[in-house]
Amino acid sequence: MAGERLGIPSAGVMTETFVSAAELMARVLGADGYPFAVIEHPISSADGPALAARAERAAAECARLLTTGADR
Amino acid sequence: MQLASRRYDVSDVVAAQEFYHSRGWTDGLPVVPPTAEAVEACLDWAMLAPDHLVGIEPVRARALTAEKLAINAVMAGCLPMHFPVVVAAFTAMLREPFLLHGATASTGGCAVLLVVNGPITAEIGMDPTFNALASSDRASTAIGRALRLCLINLLDVRPGDIDRSSLGHPGKISYCLAEDEAGSEWLPLAGERGMPAGASCVTVMAAGAPRQLMNEWTTVPQEILDTYAAEMRANMRHYSIWPGNYVIVVPPQLRAHFNAAGWSKADVRAYLFEKARIKRAEWAECGKGALVRDRGSREYAALTAPEDLLVVAAGGPAGGFGAVIPPWLGDKSRAVTVAIGACVDCEVP
Repeated sequence: MAGERLGIPSAGVMTETFVSAAELMARVLGADGYPFAVIEHPISSADGPALAARAERAAAECARLLTTGADR
Repeated sequence: MQLASRRYDVSDVVAAQEFYHSRGWTDGLPVVPPTAEAVEACLDWAMLAPDHLVGIEPVRARALTAEKLAINAVMAGCLPMHFPVVVAAFTAMLREPFLLHGATASTGGCAVLLVVNGPITAEIGMDPTFNALASSDRASTAIGRALRLCLINLLDVRPGDIDRSSLGHPGKISYCLAEDEAGSEWLPLAGERGMPAGASCVTVMAAGAPRQLMNEWTTVPQEILDTYAAEMRANMRHYSIWPGNYVIVVPPQLRAHFNAAGWSKADVRAYLFEKARIKRAEWAECGKGALVRDRGSREYAALTAPEDLLVVAAGGPAGGFGAVIPPWLGDKSRAVTVAIGACVDCEVP
């Protein structure tokens, strides 16, 4: 959201456990409904292949967020 | 005095409790109803106008006024004479090195530790002796709780909202102590951190729970500190390897041995800086072998410099006990010390 305010198209990535925190932060920062990519939790114990799979999904979702639809 | 906050009418003190609990405006304990008179008394004591800007929370650009802090201080049980400590502590927490949002939102579950120095500790009845780290006296408990209520009510740091702590620890209710300057020959913590002699000061740190230790079977400073170092190493092995501010609390029975040997706080810091170190390979002994990789021989120090260690004289007179209070997460958040006092550049209300 800080990037967006600077005019830089941005996309956030959250793990599913932090979705409610991200939604709250978006709300208190005046950007209710700000979209972000969601990946499985946790990250730190994921092995290489699992992490790579999450990264691929997150990259695809971020590309979608940056190029379509989202108006904030 | 013109207060800006909205006022609510409730029928009695019992209804007031339910009113606060139902809105999530407390920490689970009863609160003192913050009447206008009580809030104004706090502001009067600190010579602060209600709209005095204590600071701005940087992540959300949220302005924090003296009135809002006073309301929460009253709710926590503070007397007006306690309020300047609350204002100073929050001022310190808003300094950039403290990283307020990170420290209060993290899953790591730290609490804000306050160490108060100077003549104000005696003036407001803080007791740095028995039970120094919890529930030692009215002022310490209420001041520590006031910070938590400010975080909850002014910055949404409620469990599950901004506060994402997995476990937290009991210091989140209140984590405040005075240093035992009258009972110690050592330079007070605030003096060690560059504050002038005789000034009342508060130091804040994003801190884990205290880890208690015991060694009453030696009078040798190095051996006593080896026990402290072992506890710091245990934290590095079991929790976080990253260096940052650590607090050690040294009660009178152990302080007597340092004094007899002529050891200053600087000597203590220098010794622990060298001793509180582990090799990364030790993580394999603690179930964290996946992180060792090819860096097993690399040495990590608990402190980036001797000055990272905050040595505090406090505790009851008997027993060879001590405590290590570890940082939240390495040096992401730094301890901050500020002077306590009335505002010197604002209009008296």
